Amino acid sequence: MTDVQSTMAPQSTQRRKPIKWRLIGDHAILIAGSLLMLLPVLMVLTTSSYDNVTIHKEGIQFLFGDQLVENYQQALFEKGGFTKTVDGARMLMNSLILGFGFAVGKIVISMMAAYAIVYFRFRFGTVAFWVIFTTLLLPLEVRILPSYEVVQSLGMLNSFSGLIIPLIASATGTFYFRQFFRSVPEELLEAARIDGAGPLKFFVDILVPLSQTMIAAMFIIMFVFGWNQYLWPTLMTTDESMFTLVRGIKQIMQVWIGANIPDYGLAMALAIIAMTPPVAIVIFFQSWFVKGLTESDK
Amino acid sequence: MKRVQFSRPLFPYLLLVPQLSIILIFFYWPAAEAIRSSFYLEDPFGFSSTFVGFDNYHDAVTGSEYGNIAHFTLVFTGLVAFFSLSLALLLAAKADAVIRGAKSYRIFLMWVYAVAPPVAGLMGILLFDQSLGPLTQLAEFFGWDLRLGVNYWDTATAMIVISVWKQVPINFIFFLAGLQSIPRSVREAAIIDDPSSVSRFFSITFPLLAPTAFFLLIINITYALFDTFGVIDIVLKGEPGNNPITLVYKVFLDGFRGNDLGGSSAQSVILMVLVLILTVFQFRFMERRVHYS
Amino acid sequence: MNLKSVLTASVFAFVGTAALADKTEIEFWHAMGGRLGEVVNEIATDFNASQDDYTLVPVYKGNYEETLTAGIAAFRAGEQPDIIQVFDAGAATIIGAKGAVIPAQDLLTDNGIAFDANDYISGVRYFYADAAGKMVGMPFNSSTPILYFNEDAMNKAGVSAPKTWEEFQSVTAPALKEAGYVPMAQSHLPWIFTENFMSRHNLPFATNENGYGDAETKILVNNDAIKGHFTALKGWIDDGLFGYYGTGWGDNQTPFEQGEVAMWLGSSGSFGGLSKTAEFPFSATYLPYWEGVTTEPTNTFIGGAALFAMAGKSAEENKASAEFFRFLTSAEVQYTWHKETGYVPITNAAYDLAKEDGHYDRAPAAEVGIQQLTLPAGENTKGYRMGFYVQVRDVMNREYGKILSGEASVEDAFQTIEDESNKLLARFAKTQG
Repeated sequence: MTDVQSTMAPQSTQRRKPIKWRLIGDHAILIAGSLLMLLPVLMVLTTSSYDNVTIHKEGIQFLFGDQLVENYQQALFEKGGFTKTVDGARMLMNSLILGFGFAVGKIVISMMAAYAIVYFRFRFGTVAFWVIFTTLLLPLEVRILPSYEVVQSLGMLNSFSGLIIPLIASATGTFYFRQFFRSVPEELLEAARIDGAGPLKFFVDILVPLSQTMIAAMFIIMFVFGWNQYLWPTLMTTDESMFTLVRGIKQIMQVWIGANIPDYGLAMALAIIAMTPPVAIVIFFQSWFVKGLTESDK
Repeated sequence: MKRVQFSRPLFPYLLLVPQLSIILIFFYWPAAEAIRSSFYLEDPFGFSSTFVGFDNYHDAVTGSEYGNIAHFTLVFTGLVAFFSLSLALLLAAKADAVIRGAKSYRIFLMWVYAVAPPVAGLMGILLFDQSLGPLTQLAEFFGWDLRLGVNYWDTATAMIVISVWKQVPINFIFFLAGLQSIPRSVREAAIIDDPSSVSRFFSITFPLLAPTAFFLLIINITYALFDTFGVIDIVLKGEPGNNPITLVYKVFLDGFRGNDLGGSSAQSVILMVLVLILTVFQFRFMERRVHYS
Repeated sequence: MNLKSVLTASVFAFVGTAALADKTEIEFWHAMGGRLGEVVNEIATDFNASQDDYTLVPVYKGNYEETLTAGIAAFRAGEQPDIIQVFDAGAATIIGAKGAVIPAQDLLTDNGIAFDANDYISGVRYFYADAAGKMVGMPFNSSTPILYFNEDAMNKAGVSAPKTWEEFQSVTAPALKEAGYVPMAQSHLPWIFTENFMSRHNLPFATNENGYGDAETKILVNNDAIKGHFTALKGWIDDGLFGYYGTGWGDNQTPFEQGEVAMWLGSSGSFGGLSKTAEFPFSATYLPYWEGVTTEPTNTFIGGAALFAMAGKSAEENKASAEFFRFLTSAEVQYTWHKETGYVPITNAAYDLAKEDGHYDRAPAAEVGIQQLTLPAGENTKGYRMGFYVQVRDVMNREYGKILSGEASVEDAFQTIEDESNKLLARFAKTQG
């Protein structure tokens, strides 16, 4: 509230009263919205500092308990699984590879495709467009079994390429870049053509630099998408050293027929750990994020 | 497409090769496999199969619950898209209006975007827990006996709330970007023309946001149909019971969980056709109605 | 580092790889998460340490459904594990696929390991067997539904745990309600109030010998006894004599742990978890029965899952799987498993060992599950075998939810269950060629 007070002070001397009320209203809505977004995650953070029995019996906790260090230490560094090779740090590493690999691969491939679709007149242009955009229709979850067989017959089980490439087979990235390229002023291409620039030169020298912020925005979206995958990595990997964080969380929560209490504390700690890198990326890139999208709609 | 275009015989094909080959191998090949198996009843292990024509389609559509599930999918998609878009628009308009603290608000309102759907689902079931959930207790305070997993619409409410919560940030980012791309001069002129902020918003700002809004509508419908899978899966705790599910979740239940490959494939194909119609319609509508300046 | 040590190191490295290469490695996919998964890993480590020829690698593949689906996908691709854990509702799928698995009994005898069905306790002997009684799946984590009760609550209300539903209805429940408790809850309607309702009352659950035979199978769920039970259940819920908290297992267990619900029908395997969370003395007894239906109640079915040796593996690997089965069914390993997890021991020898060791003197409730499984059997209590049973259970859960929320009448709901289940069974029959 002090923030709102200080915001009001200088303005109230210049402006009339109704504006002030409206500003308070605006801030109230924004604060309410922020709290709505923040509180659930804060609760996970505080709850992650309790032992399993307490969480099981009392549910979500609003204040910090005394198991914070233990839970995070266990989550990050205790070797789990049969081969004792997988700990939180390893899963973090795998998730990072999946997130980065997917984001980079998707951006490169979809930029190329979007460039072809927007900037070239060629015979099967419309066909290519529809072939690509139909993939928006059917998410991996509903074609997961045949996809598994395909990946297996290509010998790509338990590999990062097998994890990443099938996820790239969807048109979201191409869709975004298409939107963006269409908003790039026509004059640029005309000018480039007058200067005698070929398609490759135009792409590398003009379009890619121009797309920087859009690429940043795409990077966030795709990184988060890759990072958050669950079902596909579960089916694809049998090797414990390939496990990702999101898979790790589900594994902890799945405890059968009440024989045991799930390791809630550990799961919460892992959830916080799993959130940290994508959140850091969102916050770090956020100004580019908004800017990139702003430009695409000009 | 662009009025000015390159025309090179080979280059565009080269650009398309990586994307097209990945899509052909990892999308069309499995999808074709799904279409083929939708006409068979097959032993999951692949030992025997019987060609049954359109029986799988018939059985799927005439199942006693199919209509209910389709209906719920429609309601769910509509509500999730509506609430996540309108909440995000409200917040973005406000975040665009204030100067002080704009940056902090922006961070607070967008970072939830990074939370994984299973994690969001996990938080949701703890918050809505029947005996311990703070939100359940809050509802009780208002006289609403909210029972997640027992009452159909209570479970639906939880699913919608969690899905909306997860989707507001991305919409917020896009709307904010859309608002910030409206030139200052336009806004200042608008303030002079129409001092009431609400009517000004709907008469001037909103039409300028139309491209963003239409684009987001597609993204949100796709989200509600498909990407809410992780949320629904966690909220149902592995046993759907008498709780609402979406068509996509039903495909997953029958195919992945129940190993009814033919039945599940037939449902996938139906879904594919429905979404194809929707997409074609949306693209046509969008290209015609929304003008990119 | 001098030359000598380099040489020694490389010799050791060579010997090391040679020794590794000699070992046959087999993979075991399971669905045991959390603490159960750790116990599985401990068993695997012990097995690997117990001999020099084989290495068993357990892999957690998600929940039961995910594990079975991953196994099926892998089998179709020729990448199947040597051993896979399949749960009760998936038994028909894997046993029905002739050629997907090597029957456990054959695997053992082919590899020179003696097999005698009578070594196994009667309740688990036939559940994963074929029509001729040959054991196909090796029972692994076995449990059965039992009645847990809060002793403080029973004392406060001045009642004891009910033997029959009539007693529950007229004596136990009203007294507990009077004492301020929700008298009872349960955690799995298809398992506890359908499948085990049939076996407890020795009622046929399906035609064709409960589905074990080769003929067409139709479900027999639409009968007066069970409809009477659900009519009564709906009445109890309306009168505050029973609590229904949805299909989530934990949602029904938590109110019992918190002392709101006085009695809870759960798994014999829930014992371990309850000991940690319940702050009141509790004990357990048999699943109640309706005296009006039968005066000679029979044993219940086992739930849980079994291990299946998948076909298409080398003789060496099959031998390794057989050795692991032998290790797993030894009395010591079974007793450890029983003690650590609360699942019942599957052999008589392990049961005897647990008794000798005084396990049941320390924890009497731990014995209820196995005692209930060894109650007198009837012709309908050896098990059931129905295809697409996962979907059948989903239909039951959905329709039961409708009965209890008042959306459907008992009559209509059971008619729907019967119709849809038979449709599913007919579809499954077609997948079998």
